[in-house]
Amino acid sequence: MSAHLEFPESHTVTFRLHVNGEEREVSAEPRTHLADVLREHCGLTATHLGCEQGVCGACTVEIDGVPQRSCLQSATRFEGREIRTLEAFENDPLGAALRRAFSEEHALQCGYCTPGMLITARDIVQRLPQADEARIREELAGNLCRCTGYRGIVRAIQRVLETYPHESSDGR
Amino acid sequence: MTGAPPDTQAKGIGARLARKEDARFLSGRGEFVADIRRPGMLDVAFVRAPVAHARIVDIEKPEGWESLVYTMADMAEVKPIVAASKLPGFQKSEQYPLAKDKVRFVGEMVAMCVAPSRARAEDLAEQVFVDYEDLPVVSDMHAAANGTAEGKLHEHWDSNVFLETQVDNKAGIADDVVSVRRQLSTSRQCQVPLEGRGVVCWWDHRLNRLEMTSAAQMPHINRTGLAECLGLDEGQVRVVSPDVGGGFGYKGILLPEEICCAWLAMKLDRPIRWIEDRNEHLSANANCREHAYDISVHVERSGRLAGIDCDAIVDSGAYSSYPFSACLEAAQIGSILPGPYKMDSYSCHTRSAATNKPPILPYRGVARTGVCFALEVMLDIAARELGIEPFELRERSLVGPDDMPYTNITNKLFDSGDYIACMHRAVEALDWSGWRARQAETNGRKRIGLGLATFCEQGAHGTSVYHGWGIPMVPGYEQCNARVTTDGILELQIGAHSHGQSMETTMAQVANTVLGIDPEQVRIMHGDTGGSPYSTGTWGSRNAVMSGGAVAAACEKLADRVRRLASHLMDVAADDLIFENGGVVSGDRSRSMTLADIAHTWYRAPQLLPDDVDPAGLGLVAGYKMRPDMGTFSYATHACAVEVDTVTGAVKLLDYAICEDGGVLLNPMVVEGQLLGGLAQGIGTALYEEIPFDDEAQPLASTLADYMVPGAAEMPHLTIEHMETPSPFSTFGQKGIGEGGAIAPPAAITNAVNDALGGLGAEIHSVPISPERVIAALEAAHESD
Ligand code: FES
Ligand code: FES
Repeated sequence: MSAHLEFPESHTVTFRLHVNGEEREVSAEPRTHLADVLREHCGLTATHLGCEQGVCGACTVEIDGVPQRSCLQSATRFEGREIRTLEAFENDPLGAALRRAFSEEHALQCGYCTPGMLITARDIVQRLPQADEARIREELAGNLCRCTGYRGIVRAIQRVLETYPHESSDGR
Repeated sequence: MTGAPPDTQAKGIGARLARKEDARFLSGRGEFVADIRRPGMLDVAFVRAPVAHARIVDIEKPEGWESLVYTMADMAEVKPIVAASKLPGFQKSEQYPLAKDKVRFVGEMVAMCVAPSRARAEDLAEQVFVDYEDLPVVSDMHAAANGTAEGKLHEHWDSNVFLETQVDNKAGIADDVVSVRRQLSTSRQCQVPLEGRGVVCWWDHRLNRLEMTSAAQMPHINRTGLAECLGLDEGQVRVVSPDVGGGFGYKGILLPEEICCAWLAMKLDRPIRWIEDRNEHLSANANCREHAYDISVHVERSGRLAGIDCDAIVDSGAYSSYPFSACLEAAQIGSILPGPYKMDSYSCHTRSAATNKPPILPYRGVARTGVCFALEVMLDIAARELGIEPFELRERSLVGPDDMPYTNITNKLFDSGDYIACMHRAVEALDWSGWRARQAETNGRKRIGLGLATFCEQGAHGTSVYHGWGIPMVPGYEQCNARVTTDGILELQIGAHSHGQSMETTMAQVANTVLGIDPEQVRIMHGDTGGSPYSTGTWGSRNAVMSGGAVAAACEKLADRVRRLASHLMDVAADDLIFENGGVVSGDRSRSMTLADIAHTWYRAPQLLPDDVDPAGLGLVAGYKMRPDMGTFSYATHACAVEVDTVTGAVKLLDYAICEDGGVLLNPMVVEGQLLGGLAQGIGTALYEEIPFDDEAQPLASTLADYMVPGAAEMPHLTIEHMETPSPFSTFGQKGIGEGGAIAPPAAITNAVNDALGGLGAEIHSVPISPERVIAALEAAHESD
């Protein structure tokens, strides 16, 4: 028999989030940051946590089209915002081009930084079509990878910059 | 597609095959331990010691919530972690999963709190009051080793030293050698895989066993250790290591947290989860690399290395970790310091000092990063003294290609290679002479310097290497379970674990080489003690050789079985059958059968089988061991050019070149990936990463904001050259090479910085080479003028 346990009360609030095109009603403690709500309450585990302090970038998601850390602010502050996690980019042609380039350039090993990297990479490609290698490296400053030494990631982004939207029509 | 490799068909060993594991990670479908949910799961948070050395006088649980807080007194039946070495004189430590009587480092766990979320468990932890009585803190490894520290870590010991070792191969050397002596050191560091450790565990009533999902490199070893500490049979514990976000050595350790969570899951009969946060990781758990050397090298006027004398201390922290023990680093220093060189005389004294810091754990390269730093920095200092180029000294001292296989001064058997050619290729790849010319033109505030470092890396250590050491783990035969499923898929279970090393791809490539099967038709299952053969797991650059050997052995045995069945079914002589394209073909190519056809017959049309068929069918276990089992020796030279700003102390990497030889490469793309990742970590060791401790052994870097890990912009321009000298001792001639990238950068970069500062009489003796250390070196040179 499982032990019967009682716990100190916790205060939860109920709020609504718009995640990956769906409306979600969430009950959580107000101190819960967005990444924990996405992972623990919405079942969206592509968003990873590496530091919970805004340094590593593993938790990067898109808020109203702009990459943002999800570990730094309470989830309640994202009411009314358009939140997109890596799961939203399944059928996105640019997402597909990036996935293909990441694999071909060996831009991932353990895969833990990868979701955050892909969100940042997608932003670089869209925002900075002329970015050169140095600029890409500078833009990646907020995303740490401990496995790859970054070369594959930089090359994958360069490859997509050279070929996209050229190649986007052929899907995955 | 443009830019396709010339032979798009090649999928076996040697092919740059894209990885089978990529798809799930790229779509966010990897399954890491923190992604796992169980019904009724609870989270734990730990109360950790705020002081480094103190007696626990009292622990007060929050009133009314005592049943949610546990101390060691509640876990009386749990045994401490004891990782002893049988080397003579080793002093054993007992690490209770929660501190008993006293705490020995900041961050040591004192109590465990449970709640429906981590945040609520942390709320409880904040309400636990622990009364400590301070004890004198041992924060300096020199004081610990020399017996001058006031404090004592373990009351029953007669010193603060886990183990002292002495290698003495001293011989006469010429009188007119140039001898240089320095004190060098590497700082305490942290492994920082991007994912920390983590545990989800529960009791499975159907199979009557503990189920533990843990971010682990060596699940079988964790199981053995867990069973010992918890008093369970190993059969009552299953450890599953799911997708793991990098390990680098840190996840090859049995953690006290794992024992606590397992105990609590059994106690409460509820699934229990602990996910390490970055603060726990940096300040309490993932510590590594702190070495100090007093080293002399003796070089003949010709530039030939004659001998080394060394006294080394490793700050091993408070406890001996399971399974590698507290002497992992220091004892290895004694045996590997001579590196890839020939010499007449060698002596090395080592001590593993116990201090009030977290236990020192393995990190990519293990002791090699430290010894490579110590020796290579000394060789460049000697070369400068002699007025010759660093590569001139090395070409007169390295083991030559004609010496191979070569038994060195500490009885290591080097398998193969051309160390000298490798070094020259790296020197050329950097354009050494071009940089020398540019260096001559820059004599102002910003100075250019060149450095190189050479090493060889023993990987895939075998039984004979480990048994004498007497730690709780001795690698034996590496095994693989292989079976062909009803529809012709090849399933391979291995006991190692892949957490970035790409073994789901490279092992399928090995199967392709032996059986001609498409890697897409091969399913690699790893990291689960529930099904795979026992293995010491993933450590020591061993799996290309050991798991690769086991998979090849299993596939070859399977080939025999398939051949015999096919011979009967096709009416072709068994030795006239060739494996290709996922099936067998007769030599004259007139008849063929797919593996799926043969499997279908075995499982679903057995009426077609001969009477004397081997009843073992299409499933088997095979094992592999290297002979001789000293291991493989990959090797490399790193060369770099730096610019040092003599006003700010900033060091900039201008260019970097590596020539490496990993024998036959299973997948060159994967090998380069390992090299690049290791290089980034090595650059971190050389320039940025350090956890300083104050005199009270308080860690001064506990977040990624103050512990600096290299980012994309910190990586230099890089040229990689491969050599492929097969090892005569491994299945395909492959060598272990996973750690090499992280070994040489601190040495090569320090040599370059010292070359830049040489004209100013300044010298760097410690890494990381922070601006402060550069300025301090310049000031010291100024004062001695
Ligand atoms: S987890 Fe958010 S930046 Fe690291
Ligand atoms: S692939 Fe492991 S952290 Fe980037």
